[in-house]
Amino acid sequence: MIKTLIGRVCLVGALGLTAMSASAEVTVENPYARAVPPGQMNSASFMVLNNTDTKDVALVAASSSVAKVVELHNHINEDGVMKMRQVDSIAVPALGKASLQPGGYHVMLIGLTQDLMEGQKIDLKLEFSDGSSQALTLPVQKVMAGMKSHKHHH
Amino acid sequence: MLVGVALAFYFRPQPVEQRIALGEQLGGDFTLESSQGPLKLEDFRGKVVLFFIGYASCPDICPTALSVASQGLHNLSPEEQKQVAGIFMSVDPKRDTPERLEKFAAYFHPNFHGATADRTTIDQVVKQYGAFYRMVDMEESAMGYAVDHSSRLYLINREGKLSKALMHAMAPDELTAEIRNLL
Repeated sequence: MIKTLIGRVCLVGALGLTAMSASAEVTVENPYARAVPPGQMNSASFMVLNNTDTKDVALVAASSSVAKVVELHNHINEDGVMKMRQVDSIAVPALGKASLQPGGYHVMLIGLTQDLMEGQKIDLKLEFSDGSSQALTLPVQKVMAGMKSHKHHH
Repeated sequence: MLVGVALAFYFRPQPVEQRIALGEQLGGDFTLESSQGPLKLEDFRGKVVLFFIGYASCPDICPTALSVASQGLHNLSPEEQKQVAGIFMSVDPKRDTPERLEKFAAYFHPNFHGATADRTTIDQVVKQYGAFYRMVDMEESAMGYAVDHSSRLYLINREGKLSKALMHAMAPDELTAEIRNLL
């Protein structure tokens, strides 16, 4: 949280000094990680990324203390076959948003170092193509909670 | 070239709903390996069975399907719930042991069981149910490989016959209604 605030302050400073090279401003809505059965190796985290800037930006990397590796993945539904693929980045268009939700883009937590149980909070750091980053604290939720927000976005 | 095209067509997964609609007889008995020994569909006669094919390291689709199944089941009365069981078959026995699968499935509902089998049996069951899976290398990923798979929740009636193939992300209330139809 403090890191985020410092990030914001630096960002505002940068905007003031060199408006042309300022970082895009991304806000994160409703981030959560999926609660998984005990002993599970992997989980995923979902959120909506809002780009309030007039420049395109992309989520390019993420990390967390609860997973050995964090990757960006997507699900593609092709004729009813679900395909999970790793992606290099997730684009957040200027003045637009990117929805990371069940059945689509997600931040994949691989090699969990602890069980993810409902009610816990985990840390997740997001890195963007403009060099900015955000440190988040997000709740661990059961899948059905995610399903509800999934419906709203459609 | 022609052979390639023909093969591609042959192996192209055809939506299972279409095949059922065209009158094709899909489904049928199987015997898998669970942590409690052989898991036979036959042993579930008299119960409605929700059957799903996937893999446990699946971060999203499989847990979503099992959550929908669980929620759909929880909407029923305790008496009704006793007449319904869930079976999750993993096509990834290399990573998914029967013990791990049992824990995985039971997490979603106590009536759910996890099981897997040898490759020949898996492929036979997948074919029987008009399903599809394919291991895909993900060289850049720490996961090593992912499994592309069809994502249907198979509804099996009390006589062991496949009744319907439902979308994995359907509304739990719809599933509840579908289960009640078979009770």
